[in-house]
Amino acid sequence: MAAEIVVPGWKKWLEDIGDQVGFFLKFLRNIFTGGFEWSEFVRQCYEIGYRSVMLVGITSFIMGLVLVVQLRPTLVSFGSAGMLPKTLSVSFIREIGPVIIALICAGKIASSIGAELGSMKVTEQLDAMEVSGANPVQYLVVTRILATTIMVPVLSLMGDVIGLFGGFLGINIRDDMSFHLYFTKVISVLDFTDFLPALVKTVFFGFAIGFVGCYKGFNSNKGTESVGIAANSAVVTASLWIFVIDAIAVQVTSLLFYK
Amino acid sequence: MDEGKSNTQQKPPAKNLTEVVIAIKGLKKTFGEKAVLKGINLELKRSENVVVLGRSGVGKSVAIQCIVGLLKPDGGSLKVFGDEVAGMTDGELKKLRIKTGFLFQGGALYDSMTVRENLEFPLTRVLKLKDQREIDKRVEDALDSVGLLEAIDKLPSDLSGGMRKRAGLARTIIVNPEIILYDEPTTGLDPITSREISYLILRIQKKYKTSSIIITHDMECARIAADRILIMDDGEFIAEGSFKGLHKSKNKIVEAFFKDVL
Repeated sequence: MAAEIVVPGWKKWLEDIGDQVGFFLKFLRNIFTGGFEWSEFVRQCYEIGYRSVMLVGITSFIMGLVLVVQLRPTLVSFGSAGMLPKTLSVSFIREIGPVIIALICAGKIASSIGAELGSMKVTEQLDAMEVSGANPVQYLVVTRILATTIMVPVLSLMGDVIGLFGGFLGINIRDDMSFHLYFTKVISVLDFTDFLPALVKTVFFGFAIGFVGCYKGFNSNKGTESVGIAANSAVVTASLWIFVIDAIAVQVTSLLFYK
Repeated sequence: MDEGKSNTQQKPPAKNLTEVVIAIKGLKKTFGEKAVLKGINLELKRSENVVVLGRSGVGKSVAIQCIVGLLKPDGGSLKVFGDEVAGMTDGELKKLRIKTGFLFQGGALYDSMTVRENLEFPLTRVLKLKDQREIDKRVEDALDSVGLLEAIDKLPSDLSGGMRKRAGLARTIIVNPEIILYDEPTTGLDPITSREISYLILRIQKKYKTSSIIITHDMECARIAADRILIMDDGEFIAEGSFKGLHKSKNKIVEAFFKDVL
């Protein structure tokens, strides 16, 4: 009896995996065939990138500031208050910045893509595009996934810099450190192995955000409720993927660089 | 099948009514355990308007979605311009879709684009036109045909239901399709606008020499636009004929459709 209940669930899960693989292959095939939608791609870069600048900037600045304020008492108790800039820069550039910014982007971008494509499905716009002979995957999916893959790393880099500025303000609330000294300390501890793995994983974060948003929107059911479900499911799944990718990235990075 | 009498409506004679553009034989479609189409047969001739009447959920829209390849039939034969749809490659299906326009119930306009951009979309993406002057001319001609030129730079959200359907129809005819499939073109509209859309369908048939299948339960639309009417019930066609012929039918389901028609 129990087996009868479990099997359909696994079957549905496996079908979903199969659908996602099929969707991914369709995406790959459409990058290279039938012409690239440059104008839509640029529009998506603007929508996804430029329109997220303010949100990412403010949250990064606050994160940098809060992190310094929280770290300070512990470092002071060890007599290491001077380590604050270095501690902040390593933790922010390597881990906290990319992951938190990717989660913010998942909330803003994946939900927006999922809701937009889900609503296009409900109002038969996707069907209309398909029966007109146009290719909705090429126009809607390829452009959005590539735009998130490029713009999330750019937003992450920008957020890292702004977060470090937030840290500078955080230090100067209680201490007195010059701008020059702060950034000399911040940069002195960073090297190639801090920047590159963090940048590479944000590329994967961006891809996951775009892919999940498009997949959930494209495969939503035909009902108004399904638009909300697509948006919600896109955020949850993309956030989960960000943590999975981060866990894998940490393992790979530690094997390659931190032996 | 209940045979109606010959068409007596005052409409211009259709051109070359003998050539079959869509031939459906024994078409079946099942969703889960529910058989939606139970082996329907239909022939659409060139420049002919066929209206399919039927209650909601009897499989009317499923039938026309199979014609453009949006749904895959489970059995039977479906030929458009002599070619079997089921065996078509992506390229062949694309060519078929250029020749077969589809008007969705709500117009299905792309809501992030203006009316002009909606109409330019199939020209630039499907027909790959580059000359902006030709594109502008075709957009203006199509909008002029549906009487919507003044709304060219408006967004779909600024249009009324009737205007949205007109804009959707303009986007459908802009690629000069030989067949147009209308999915409930007058649903949700007031009687006056419904009549305008029905006459517009007739004008499009005359001007562009299109063959059409019109899915509806609007009897006024059927009276105005139909050369021939098919009545569908429970996944099958149960009656066929002209509006006047079916009006006299003794079939109970047909009678139910025509009982309030004067």
